Parts: sequence; structure tokens; C-alpha cells
Amino acid sequence: MVTAAERVSSHKWGMAVDVDRCTGCQACVMACQTENNIPLSTEDIYRQKRTFAWIRIERYWYGDFPNVKARFIPIMCQHCENAPCEPVCPVFATYHNTEGMNVQIYNRCVGTRYCGAGCPYNVRFFNYWEPVWPSTLRNQLNPDVTIRSRGIMEKCSFCVQRIRRGVREAAQEDRDLVDGEIQTACTDACPTNALVFGDFNDDNSRVSIMSHDDRKYTHLDSLNTEPNVVYLAQIDATGGAIGEHE
Amino acid sequence: MKLSRREFMTLAGGSTAGAVIFTACGVPADELLVEAPLDLPEDLVNGIDSWFATTDDSGLGVIVRVMEGRAKKIAGNPDYPINLGKQAAHTDTALQALYHPDRVEGPMLRRAKGQPLTPISWDDANGLLEQWMSDAEGNLAIVTNPVRGADAKIARDVASAYAGRLVFFDPLEQGVLHSAIKTVFDQNRVPEFDIAGAHTVLSFGADWLGTWLSPVRYGTKYGDFRGGDHRGFMMHAESRMSLTAAAADRWLTVNPGYEGDLAISIASVIVKDQLVPENNISAYTANIPEGELEKWAPESVADRVGVSAELIKEAAHKFAEDGPSIAFGGGSAGAQTNGAFNLTAIYALNILAGTIGKKGGVQFNPAGAQGLPDSATGASFETWENELSHWRAGNVKTVITRGVDLVHGLPRSVDVGGALDKVDNVVAFTGVLDESSEHANLILPENSYLEDWGLDVPEPAPGYEVVGLRQPVVNAPLDGETRARLYDSRNFLDTLLLAAGSRVSVGSVKEFVEDTVADLYAAGRGSVTAGDSRLFMNGVLQRGGWWDVGASAATGTPSSIPSPLANAAGPGMSELDDRVEGHVFTIVPFAHQSLLDGRNASTPWAQATPDPITTVAWATWAEINFDKAEEMGISEGQWIKVRTTAGEITVQAYPHPGISPNLIAIPVGQGHKEGIGGRYAEDRGENVLNILVDKKESETGALAWAATRAVVTKAGGSKELPKFEGDARAIIRPAEHGVPILIVEPGQSAHDAQEHNHELHLRFISNDE
Repeated sequence: MVTAAERVSSHKWGMAVDVDRCTGCQACVMACQTENNIPLSTEDIYRQKRTFAWIRIERYWYGDFPNVKARFIPIMCQHCENAPCEPVCPVFATYHNTEGMNVQIYNRCVGTRYCGAGCPYNVRFFNYWEPVWPSTLRNQLNPDVTIRSRGIMEKCSFCVQRIRRGVREAAQEDRDLVDGEIQTACTDACPTNALVFGDFNDDNSRVSIMSHDDRKYTHLDSLNTEPNVVYLAQIDATGGAIGEHE
Repeated sequence: MKLSRREFMTLAGGSTAGAVIFTACGVPADELLVEAPLDLPEDLVNGIDSWFATTDDSGLGVIVRVMEGRAKKIAGNPDYPINLGKQAAHTDTALQALYHPDRVEGPMLRRAKGQPLTPISWDDANGLLEQWMSDAEGNLAIVTNPVRGADAKIARDVASAYAGRLVFFDPLEQGVLHSAIKTVFDQNRVPEFDIAGAHTVLSFGADWLGTWLSPVRYGTKYGDFRGGDHRGFMMHAESRMSLTAAAADRWLTVNPGYEGDLAISIASVIVKDQLVPENNISAYTANIPEGELEKWAPESVADRVGVSAELIKEAAHKFAEDGPSIAFGGGSAGAQTNGAFNLTAIYALNILAGTIGKKGGVQFNPAGAQGLPDSATGASFETWENELSHWRAGNVKTVITRGVDLVHGLPRSVDVGGALDKVDNVVAFTGVLDESSEHANLILPENSYLEDWGLDVPEPAPGYEVVGLRQPVVNAPLDGETRARLYDSRNFLDTLLLAAGSRVSVGSVKEFVEDTVADLYAAGRGSVTAGDSRLFMNGVLQRGGWWDVGASAATGTPSSIPSPLANAAGPGMSELDDRVEGHVFTIVPFAHQSLLDGRNASTPWAQATPDPITTVAWATWAEINFDKAEEMGISEGQWIKVRTTAGEITVQAYPHPGISPNLIAIPVGQGHKEGIGGRYAEDRGENVLNILVDKKESETGALAWAATRAVVTKAGGSKELPKFEGDARAIIRPAEHGVPILIVEPGQSAHDAQEHNHELHLRFISNDE
């Protein structure tokens, strides 16, 4: 019989993002904020450019009016196999686990921010302040997710609490996980299914299939970070595939 | 105090004592008190969550994660046919509306106009409401947001019991849309648009991937449209870069009010070149006088429409030759003085496509199950002008509002506040105090949808009968110290029913829901099967509703339609305030991605969600063409005055390239005064709706909310906009093409595109150096 521990280590979690389907609607952003108790980015925080968003939608302009396009791309922690953020951490608060995930141990973090400086994707966020919610709004906080205190780094965890729950439940029922059974909050929310989460070790999973698509690329691949987030290129059906962005 | 671990656990298990212990350790008392096992909801299992299915107030099926009586997460209901498990950016904001720190805690009475509000008991409030409704026999007005299903049925019954009326209000009303659908298809409900099955989509004005009607439903369809075996081609005609325009393969930058001319010009090419079967052409042209269509030849209309003749012809050929094709529109295309003409011309294109009732086309929706009201739209602006004149004349004794903020949502010119002040009794059901509440005598705290029973008949429906069920999924949050309910809110309709007593046959909303579900059980069909009605009810509760995929409407192409040219007219824009000099623009108000029309403005998540196009949050901005702004000497963050004959607002400029040079686009939703809208919305931004000029759509009397012209001048000074995006001006050399968004041509691989881009980049660098 396969033990629960063996089942756990047999996974390599990852995400596929079909940019051609992304409409920039922000449903993923909001779902992530709720699920992961992300501190509220107030107006002042926006002005200070210290906005928290474990997943964000970047918008780029291509061309000039009227031949102009706004294109969107969701960016989150790429969970790199060769993560630049990992070796620079002096206290091993961030490390790569056996399931392909770049993991952050909050209570080990001492806030040097080296990882944030090392990350080429700008997906790590430092808690400059203690997160504060009015007392009534705390009713809604997710009890599965630690609230990060002032002075430590945080980032996308691939909704590890959902992964742990899914794996645990499958193990308790002595069965294999079914592709799609575990969803991160963002993939769950995405109306167009531009975001897909799954196990790269499962050849039949949607993420595996998408990772073999002709349109597959990885973000900043020249850096050789080997992300576990793959993207499918956007299709331009009007022949203007190459354009400047501002 | 020194405790052993066993002693600690024993004490901690005892509610209050546990709280004391933890308080001493620095953990807030209310957290533990709420979680104390002596006072927990009966469905609680410590540490285990429950997911309840219900229907939200935008027509989506949702499941709500509840732990220890408190809602933690809202997600799409995977079973529900409208959204298939998906959600919108604003879906989760209902959690913050539920637990909002500024929620109205209990009933409040204003004893005289202008006096402050004082708390009263629910018994007293119910007594007053009963009295005021009885006093208003024959002159009672109940005003709500457009609702369907049980809400509409019961509210209408209550209004009828007093010989009063139920009036719907929607700031960005869709009445013109319903009128056009009636004209072209003879349908009373918005049809289903089979975007997923289409090969070509041609849309006008409506930001259907952002905020129009049911963007989550359309988003699921769009995903399939892009990702199916055949990647569809999408064209979108709109004057500003909305999410839908951004998603389109071809953005047609039509001038405001000329969407109808564009649609007819496309039709003229299809008819002239006979690009579709003869039957389709004869149905389309049946009532068009000979030679009339030729007046809309692309070369004749291109200048006024703002789209080149070549693009019009390309659109016509694509639409006709790469089917199945579908055309639809709304939003700003209908919000013109000639809105009905525009939308009629747009929907008539489906006759040419010949896809009505077919895959990839328009599917009609059946009437609501069990006779439930199945369609709703806000009353026209003309109706509102009449209604307000009755209020002003003292002909209406009692006005009851719920889910609407008339003062915020209607143009300043109609002076809603003044009209409300002439009504003897104004009762406002609300969650957070809004502008209209200032004119109310009686404020009644209303439940969140997470605390209510209800039935919804979604619109647009998926082409078959669907009834969404709403159920209370949370316990009322308690105060950590007093154990009293933090918000003593009630269901709006139950409160009205209590006041109406025997005048209305319905006892309560829950009773109505149970009776209707029992009727569905008796019908013996649909998505839930059960051995008895109790189990059937459980099944409907668990699935969040009932639907019958077999109960569809007969759909077929009409053999002829009224001439789309019959009421052809150009748009009539508002006059300008000639007292000031400046650059003239047409204002395009648009619904905010998360605040929508302002209904979510009180919640911090909705405020903090960056606008997808500008990435601005927490503010009102004005989108202005990049080159035009440069010409005017306006840069990002500068304050500009936008002046119409109805008033003036001062907002910050956000220049970008995705908007016509003659337009200024301003989001709706902000502009609440100090002390209004809760701590997150008060004294923030500006309300563009208030400065709209009261131009009306010529056939329906709807507010032509996209037909206001303004003079724009610099107001002096600037401030950094609170926005998410960085500033690219510091970048000396552009990044390699394809970073971060790699773009490929159809059939091109990512590898090939990257190689090509890299080669270009190397060439660029060598030239540069």
C-alpha cells in the first residue's frame, strides 16, 4: 500500500496560464485576497508602491490609438526550481519542497528581504506594518491561513492549505487524487479557465498537457529559473503579432 | 498565574473562563467567545467547515464556506448553470458587506426632516411602518433595484395590496436593450448568447467581459470560445478600451451614438455582396425600402462612424463568412438619444447570420418557472421624472426604498433629495447609510443576502428554466462582550409582509420559497429527484437551485423583422456650458469593475481592487487620450474640471492610448459625501452620474447616459494617483519583445516567436549601440 507520505512526495504542483483566455477581470486577485488573508492595500499603500497582491494582473499597452491593444497577464510566484530567492535567505525561511513548491516559513523569517531583492518576478511582499482589520471584518478571516505579522515576507503559496487538505483527504480515503480535485483560489475563480492548477507528475493532468502545448513558454526563461508556472502565448489573429509596449 | 497544561485545557474549554485565560495571553476575547463550545451554532463541528449553496445578488450561484457560524469564503457554485463554479471580482465583497464595521446596527428614526437619527426598537419600527403603509393606501411607492423571482413577486404583491406601485431603479438602465430585443426577436427576456459555440462574435458598446449583464457567464463562454477546437474571432465596437475591447481581436473605435450606423453598414456589405443565403437577406430586408440600405455603404458612413470603410468591409466578410456568428450589444451603445435604433440595428444582424436558435447564435429563454417574474430592468428616466413629480407634488405619502441610492444614482438636475423631502414618510432599508438615507425618516437595517431566503430567476438564463435558491448561511455575528447581535437586521420583504398582515397571502419569504419548491417537486421534472417533498427541498438547498435543461423555448429565425432603418437617427448630444472655455469632450461613464454602479463602494476589497485598464484603486479618475492630453498639457494625476450644463466635478487625469481623442471616460461608483457610505467610501472621489445632462432616448425615454458633453479644463495642481502599475519612464531600453507577454500568430509556436523576437532584439541593440 502506498503511504500518505509517498503520495505527498509524488506530486509536482504547478500552474498553467493561458494568456489568450485572460480578460484581466481581477476575479483571481480578489479570490486570492480572501482565501489568504492578504492585508488590505489602502490608498496610502498604493501610493507608496507597497501593494500586496500574491497574484496580480499586469496590463501592457501595445501600439497607439486607434491601433492599440491592452494585454493582460497574471503574475504570481513562479515556484521556480532554481529559485533565486532561496539560496539568499540566511535563515532558510524560504526553501524548495519536494512537491515543486517554493515555500515560505513565516515564523522563521527575520525580514532581511534578500529574497524579495533576488526575485526577478517581484512577487514577494514585505509586511512593513502589522496587518489590521476592524474587529467585525476579522469574522471573515480564513482560519486555515496564518496572518503574517510585521517584519516578514509573504508570497503566493499555491494555496498550500488546500493542497494539504486535498492530499490528506485522498490519503484518508486511500485513493489517488483526481486531476482538478485540488484548486487554488485563483484557478477556482477564473471565469475563462485561463488559470489551471495541477500536478506536473501526472502526465494526463491538464497542466501537463498544457505544458506540452506549442504555445508554452516560461516567464523570463533566459534567467533559467525553471518556473513551475508555465504560460501559453497570446494569439494575435490580426497579423500584428509583434508590437511595442510602453 | 501558573497552570499545568491539563488545567489550562480544562479552563480553556469553559467558555468565559477560557476567554479570560486567553485574554491574559493577549488573544482577543471576542475571538474565543464566539468560538466557545457552549454557544455555538448547532451545525458546528470544531475545525470542520461547511459549504452552503445559495444565490448572490448578482444572479450567480455561489457556495459559501462557513466555519463556526461565520462566512469565510465565497466561491462559484460548480453546479449552477449560470456561472459553472466561477465568480466575479466583486463576489467575495459580500463577506465584507456582511461584517462591515459601519453596518446599520438597528432601526433609526428621524422625528422631523433635518433632525438627527435616533435608535428605536424593531417593535416601534414595525408599528410605524404598518401605520405609514396604511396611511399611504393608493399612494405608496416601493423602490428597489431590479429584482426577479420571489423578491419581485412579493414586493409587487405588497405594493398591489396598497394600490401602490413597485418601481425599479438602475443607474445604468438596460431598458433600451429590452426594447430592442422585443422589436427584433419579440422576446420579453434577454436571450442566451452562445458565445462558446460561435466562430465569430461581433459586439457593440456592451462590456460583457467586464460589467455588462452577466460577465461571469459570458466569461465562461469566452474561455471556451478561445480555447475550443476552433479559436473564435472577436470584433468589438466601443469608443473606449473596456475589458471587452481589450479582449477583442479587432477593436472598432466607433464614435458614440453611431453603433447603429456601423451595424447597418456591415449589413449593407453583406446584402450587397450576397455573403449569406438569400432567405436571411430577404428576412432582413423585408421591410426596408428598395435602395435605402445603400445609403449606409461603408464609404458613405465611415467618417461619421469613425471606422474606416476597409474595416467595415472586413467585419462584414468575417461575420458573414466565418460562422456561426453572433451579434449583440448594449451599454453605451443603447445609452444614446438614438439608443433603440442602435440596438435594433445590432441585434438585426443575427437575422443575416441565420444563427437564431442554432449553435453559436441567439437562443431564446423560456418564461420563469412557476410563473416567477423572470426579467427586470430599471424604470426609464422619463418614468422617474414623472414619479418624482408626484413626490414633489405631495401625491405620494410613503416611499420605501431598498437596494437603491436614488440621490447618488440620478442626475442632479432632477433633485431627488428635494422630491424625497416632500414625501411624508420615507423608509430606507439599507446596510450602510447612503446619500438617500439622509432624506429618510425611518432607516431599517437590511439583511445581507447571506442571511436571507429567496428565489431568483437569473437573467440572462442559459436557454432553459433555472430557479436559484437563496438560503441563510451564517449566524448573526455577536458582540464579544455583550453577546448581543452586532447588527439587528431583518429581511426587507419579511418586514413588509409583517406590516401588510392579512392584506398579502404570503406569510414569509421562507414560506413562499418552500411552497414554490413544493410546486417544483409536484411538477416532477428537473435537476433534483427525490422520494418526497422534504428530500426534494434538501436537494434544491444542496444544489443551490433547480433547473430543467429540457425546458427550453422554441427559437427560430423570424421570416421578417421591422426595418432596422425605420427610426434611423444620429445621436443628439447635450448642449455645452458656454460660460467656460476649454476642450469639448463626450463623457463616457462606465461601471467600475468591482464597485459596479457603486453598490460595493462601502467594502474595502472592492475599493482596493485595481481597475484592470488603469490599475487605479480607491479613487475616481478620468481616462483621456494620451495624445490629446499631451496637446492640452495634461499629465497623469493632474486635477481637471469636467463641466456640463448640470454641474462640475474635479477629478484626476489618467491619459492612455486606448480611448478616442474626443472622449473622456469616468468610472461610476464613488463620490459619497463625508459620513456617507461607510468609512471606506466616504469623502472619496466624485460621482459622474450627478453631472449627466437629462437627455433621453427618443423611443423609450431612458436616460441617454452616454450623451453628455463636457468642457474640460485644468483645475490646477496634481497628486500621484493610487495605482498598481509602475512607471516605465525610467526604462532606458525596451525589454525584448515577448517579455512578459509572448504573442504568436495563429499556428506559430512559442519557440519560433521567441527566436524571431530575440533576433529583432539583437538587431535593435546593435543599431542602438
